[in-house]
This record gives sequence, structure tokens and C-alpha cells, in this order.
Amino acid sequence: MEKKAFQKQIINQALKQGFSDCEVFYLGGESFEILLMEGEVSNYENSSEAGVSFRGTYKGRTGYAFSEHLEEESIGFLIEAAKENSLLMSAEEREDLFGGEEYPEFHGYYPELEQVCVEKRIQLAKRMEEAALNGAESIASLDYCVLGMGKREVAIVNSLGLDISYTKNFASGYVSAIARNGEETKKGSAFWKGTDWADFNPEETGRKAARRGAALLGAGTVDSGTYAAVLDGKAMTSLLASFSGIFFGENVQKGFSLLKDKLGDKVAASCVTLRDDALLEGGYASVPFDSEGVAGKNKAVIDKGCLKTLLYNRKSAKMDGVASTGNGFKAGLTAPVKTACTNFYIQKGEKTLEELLGQMGNGLYITDFMGLHAGTNAVSGDFSLSAEGFLVEKGRITRPVEQITIAGNFYALLLDILSVGVDLYFAAGAKGSPSVLVGKIAVAGK
Amino acid sequence: MLKKNVVENTVLAALGTGADFAEIYMEETKRNTLSVVNGRVESAQSGLDYGVGIRLFFGNKAIYGFTNDTSEKNLIRIAREAAAAARGERVYALQGWRKMNFSCRNPIRIMPDEVEKRKKAEKLFLASEAAKNYSSLITQTRANCLDVVQNVFIANSEGLWAEEQRVRSRFNVEAIASSATEKQSGHLGPGGSVGFELYEQIDVEERAREAARIAVTMLGAKPCPAGRMPVVIENGFGGVIFHEACGHSLEATAVARNASVFCGKMGQQIASSVVTAIDDGTIPNGWGSAAMDDEGTPTQRNVLIENGVLRSYLVDKLNGRRMGAKSTGSSRRESYRFAPTSRMTNTFIDNGKSTPTEILGNTEFGLYAKQMGGGSVDPATGSFNFAVLEGYMIRDGKIAEPVRGATLIGKGTEVLQKIDMVGNNLARAQGMCGSISGSIPTDVGQPMIRVKEITVGGRG
Repeated sequence: MEKKAFQKQIINQALKQGFSDCEVFYLGGESFEILLMEGEVSNYENSSEAGVSFRGTYKGRTGYAFSEHLEEESIGFLIEAAKENSLLMSAEEREDLFGGEEYPEFHGYYPELEQVCVEKRIQLAKRMEEAALNGAESIASLDYCVLGMGKREVAIVNSLGLDISYTKNFASGYVSAIARNGEETKKGSAFWKGTDWADFNPEETGRKAARRGAALLGAGTVDSGTYAAVLDGKAMTSLLASFSGIFFGENVQKGFSLLKDKLGDKVAASCVTLRDDALLEGGYASVPFDSEGVAGKNKAVIDKGCLKTLLYNRKSAKMDGVASTGNGFKAGLTAPVKTACTNFYIQKGEKTLEELLGQMGNGLYITDFMGLHAGTNAVSGDFSLSAEGFLVEKGRITRPVEQITIAGNFYALLLDILSVGVDLYFAAGAKGSPSVLVGKIAVAGK
Repeated sequence: MLKKNVVENTVLAALGTGADFAEIYMEETKRNTLSVVNGRVESAQSGLDYGVGIRLFFGNKAIYGFTNDTSEKNLIRIAREAAAAARGERVYALQGWRKMNFSCRNPIRIMPDEVEKRKKAEKLFLASEAAKNYSSLITQTRANCLDVVQNVFIANSEGLWAEEQRVRSRFNVEAIASSATEKQSGHLGPGGSVGFELYEQIDVEERAREAARIAVTMLGAKPCPAGRMPVVIENGFGGVIFHEACGHSLEATAVARNASVFCGKMGQQIASSVVTAIDDGTIPNGWGSAAMDDEGTPTQRNVLIENGVLRSYLVDKLNGRRMGAKSTGSSRRESYRFAPTSRMTNTFIDNGKSTPTEILGNTEFGLYAKQMGGGSVDPATGSFNFAVLEGYMIRDGKIAEPVRGATLIGKGTEVLQKIDMVGNNLARAQGMCGSISGSIPTDVGQPMIRVKEITVGGRG
């Protein structure tokens, strides 16, 4: 069935069957991916998907249901299931729908991206693969070499008259190379994500992955102890991503964050400014509005060390008596509206990596953390993660380091950042950070 | 679920591109989730997943597409589009249909989608109450339940025609204990390929109190000392060590790409001789059990390691072609959105001969990891990392003070060789395992084991 007609039909029927208001959220997408192995396409994927999530007020309570079967016979199921679910909810937690507001102009859809033919895309992937294989002498094979494209369409229609939609698309390349020396194996990866194939340099991406892997060969552990450390953009971003939830209003309200009553307080070193920017030009997570129809905004969450705002959806904002920051997102059809970041990053500083290492003198340069989903406690901020990187002596990298565990606390780490680099990095998930110099971290090695 | 002529025409269209194998996977899955935070319903969600995945093989090359538009026209379009990326030399024939008859491994007593949600909510309220009342230090509780009724249909150009209904239920409870400066949490999540009878098999209040006990114990714990030391890992979820450190590297997904440390090690001693490890998708009502895998191959019991010697990898059809090996009934996927690949089902280290008392008694100093958290591993390097949720120091062969914040890091190959004692109290526990074919239910398991020496990370 045609999308908008289907959305409107559900709304009409739900209103007839006792819902006082309701909304149909449509999420559609297309994806394309090729995986290369030894110069050949080994996997190829081309898909389309669509589904709707229904929510509405029944007898003063909010009920949810979803379906990926977009045909008339699903409408009865959606309405009945949402009714039953609503009866379990309390009236105080009723979610009121949003009638809409002014929206920023949004450019997220680039039709030219899809016009590059499949053969040409395969060629780009092959060039990236070859560059990675030849990027360093020690490269034995590739772990992954993937090229993909994605398209996403969101459309919200509700009984208050809201009727908005956007489409966005992007392309990406990812390669991970395995470097070997005898029994020792190391991995290096690199990726590109963008909206114009002309910006993609497959040779550069491939070489970067190879060099990263090769540089880690010959790694050993270090003595256990306390070290100063430069966390590179990738490593810092992975920590930031693991702990991003502490900045969500709903987590603070529920006691799952230690930032309660800290607004206006110093929660990070004064060199740290943390932004959540839904409108960032070319940002992977840029959107004109969130899943509740609230317009996207650019916010400083931490401004020069001071906590300026938490991130809110409409429900958590109401509880704190503030306006939604446009961070109410559904993590897919099945999920209710929760809080999520948009482009979430530590603003870049002025120092180059060399200057940061020089400022540190002796310490560790950490390039990767592993085991983030297990070794972090999102509530207490504690983390204990295996890491790899390099030993730095007198401001110079002297040798690669592995088999170490770094333990610390994220809240304490934010306050202990001495300097922020100029090299802002974004991970594919739209979270980012430049390299940062941290005063001290606990390292378990030998 | 699909009409026979739609299936036939789609498979024929796929074979028309020159593919030597074509497969249709369809599912219709009803899901219910209910979540209670601090004694109040936070969310109640119901829904229908619905879609088709079409897969073609051209030798060792695979093409995959999925859609929710299950019209014949669209399915044929997806099958034909494959020709953009691959083309075969000849057209293979469709074999006559063979209807698979699987014996039911997971009999269900009470269909969970027929139980009133109110009744499910009552179980969660009971759990929340029990966790909260355990101690005044418990400041937050979360309880949730989920149930899934998945109807799967698989047909392929070899003539396979298979259907299965898979029913799963799981209960989760988490308790958080707080002091003025600290928060610690405890969590348990029992489940199985069962219906609402799950709640007759487990006592939700007892589980909730156990989660609360872990949180309260860890709140009073000192940071774990760092360094290399012997570690005794308790049964049940402790099996995550094997799952992460070894299981993933035995998946053909990694082996066929030559990206596993266990490549070319078949028949060799890869673990100490006290270690026997099994992946068994046939355990009745097991969380990771099913009659068939997601390619329609019957599941089986695979002995992976026998007395330390590598006996089998976990193999799916595609990687089996690449490796020249037969499917072990191990091909799994989260949903039609994912092409299937070799994965674990219910994986565990088998019982050994030592008693838990002997193992602890023989350990003068070390870490006792009573409850493990999650972990991850890089199959290329074998490096793993996982968290200890509830840990204690062992002093003079006895469990001493609790310690928090410990992580175990190392390499799978080394740790397997360093397991020097295996207990006789095998137990399994439920988890969700994420990999390239999505997040799937798997059991981990083991008896109590001792690792002679492992790097422990901590802040003490």
C-alpha cells in the first residue's frame, strides 16, 4: 500500500476505535553492500525495508505497536495490540503528541550518489583492497573490505495535523588489514563515509589501514603503573560513545547518571567543549527533526568545562520543565522514543598530535580500546578496558604496546584532560573527538 | 507462508541468472516486550516482523537481498538484480521438493502470545518488589520480559522445503545498589525455547534477590588488584570465556577467511587435555536450540574440542564451500535482514573430574570470578576482554573479600592451554550473541574451571 495513504488510514481507524489521538511513524530504507575477498566480490547485498510504528492515547494512556507488513490486514493488529499495551501504562506517563513547529532547511539526499553504477562501485572497492594489501610489507591478508550505500526515509503523520518527512543517503568504505610477523598478528582499519563519491580516495583509505596495522607489530606490554596518556580520536570517541548516556536527561532523572544537579558546574577541564549538533553540515547524524517531530538544534552540552544542558526528548524535558533539545529518537521501529545523540563530539582544540605528545613527554599514546560493551559501567563511569597503542618517551613514539588494561573513571577523566588536539575524528556512528592528553590513567601490564 | 508457485517462480528467476544455488527465507515473527523500572511499567511493545531474504550462490560468491514487500513481482526483481554483481555460465535445474519433517525439540506448554499482558506484568512487579526489599541500599530496579513466536519458512533450489515455529521467552532483572559515591549493579536473565511456563520453572523473586545480593556485595567491594594471577571462574555464565576466547574463532565465518587463530589446527592439541567443549543445538528447550538451522539443515551436537584436541569447526553452507567442509547445522541469523552464517547455539565446556571444593582448595592466591559480565574477542588476533561482575579474592584456598571492577584479558589460544582444572558442576546461562548475522540467542556454559594464570585488569 502507498505509504501516506496507509498512515492516514491507520489514524482514521484508530480514532474511530476510541483513540483520542495517535501517530504513525514510518521508517523506510534501502541498503547496498559489497564485500570483497581476494579481488572478488564475495558478498553482495541489496535490500529495501519499510515499517510503521503506531502510538496513540487510549483511555488517557499511551499504547505502542509496530508492523513491517504494510497491508490493510495489519491495521487491526496494530490498533488492538496498542490498546492492550496502553492499559498497562500509567496515566501520568502519557505521551502527548506534537503538532509541529518551524523546521530548518535540510539537504541530506544526494541522488547522484546512486547514479554511480554497480560495476564502478566494485572497481572502487577493488582499488581500496589493493592499496591495503600493498600498503605495508607485513600485510598478510585483509580482514574486511566493504563498500556500502544506505538510504533512509522518515515520515511522521499524526492526528494533530503533523505531516513531515525527510530522506537522506550516504556511501561508505571500510577496510581492515591484517599485519603478520611470525606468530604475531595485528589489525589496522580505516573508513570513509560521505555523500559524494568524488571525495572518496580508495588508495588513501587502503594505505591508512595497512600502515596502522603494520605499525603495531612488535608490540609488548609495559610495567603496571600510572601513566599520562594521549588518547587518539578513535579511542576517545569510543569512550565518549560508551558513556554518552550520562548526558541524557532521562538517565539523570532515573538515577542512571551522576550528573544530577550539576547544571552550570564544572564537569570537565576548561579546554573541553562537547557539542550535540543535529544541523552539522555533512554530519552522519544530521536530521531536520527527531522521531517526535521536534526540530534539530546545535547545542553545547559542555561549554569550556561547564555543563550547559542535558539532552532531552519531550517527555524528559517536560519532567525538568525545559524544552526538548530535539534528541527524542526511536532506535528502529520496535523501540519507543528514547534519548539519542545526533552529531556528538568534543570540539577541536589547537594542538597537533606531535605537540600533544611533546607536552606529555613520557607516557602512552592509545589508539584503540577493546571490549567496550563489557568493560564499562555506564552508571558509575568506571571502565577497565584492554587497549593498544604506543609507548612515548620524551615526546616521541618508541614502540608499540599491547596486552595492557586501562582502568579509570569517565567522570574523572573529563576533568583530567590537559589539552585537546586539532585532529577532530568522527566514527561511523557520528560521535567524534580529537586526540586528547589525559593527566593520569591506571595501567595493568606486567 | 508463501504460495508454492511464488516460491518456484522466484527460485527459477534466481537460477536464471546462472546461480548454482538459490534460497528463500521467510519469517513472520510476533514479539512482545514489557519493561518495568522501579516498580512501574516503562514500556509495553508488540509487533510483527515480516519479510523475505533471498540468497544466491555463484560458486563461492554470495548475493543477498531482503524486503518486506513479498509480492511475486518484487521477489523476482530481487532475484534478478543479482545479475548486476554476478553471472553464472549455465542455468542449473530446480530439484523436486523434499518436505522436511523435523521432530519437535522444544515442546511449548503455554503459548506466550496467548497470555494476557497483565499476567506478565505481575511477574515483573513481584521481581521489582523482591529486589527493592532485599536491602535499603537497592535504589533502582529494572525487570523485563520478552517473548517471541517466530514462524520460519525456508526453500532452496536443492528442493528443500522446511518450516518451523520457534518460541522463546526470557526474563531479565537488574538491581542497582548505591552509596553516597558509588553505584553497582547485579543482573540475571534466565530464558529458554519455552512459553509462559518459564515462570513455573523459575522463581522471579528468588532471581531478583540474587541480582540485588550481587549489587549490594559489589557496592562494599574494594577495587580489584591488577596483575597476572590464577583465576577460578564459576559455572554457568562463566562459560562466556569459552564463547569469546574460542567459540568465535571456531566459526567458519572466521576460519574460511583465514582470519582465525585456529585455522589449520584440526586434530591438533589447542587446549589443555582437561578441556572438552561442545556446541549442541539439540538440547530440549535450550535458549539456542531449534530443530533446524537458518538454512534448513537439522541442528546437531558438535564436539568442538575433545580432551584438548580440535575436532570440529562450526560450518554453514557458504563457508563450507569455501573450506570444503560439510554444514554442521550451525548457520544462524537474527532475522530475514541478515544472510545466515556459522554461529554458536548452546556452547559449553563439558564436565571434568574436580569438585569445586578441590579447585578452590588448590588455589592459594587468585581471583574467584563468581559472575561474569559480557565480553568480546577479535577472531583475527584471538585477543579478548571481559568483565567480572562479581569477584572475590582467593586467599589460602578460601574465598576472601569481594573485589570490583576486574576485567580478564588475554588471548584465546593461551588461556585454553592454561585451563588446568575443570569442575563437575556444569550449568548453562543465556545470552545474546552479536556478530555479522545479527544478534541471536545463545547459551554459554561450563562447570567451575581454573585458569593457571591470566592478566587481571583493575584499579586496586
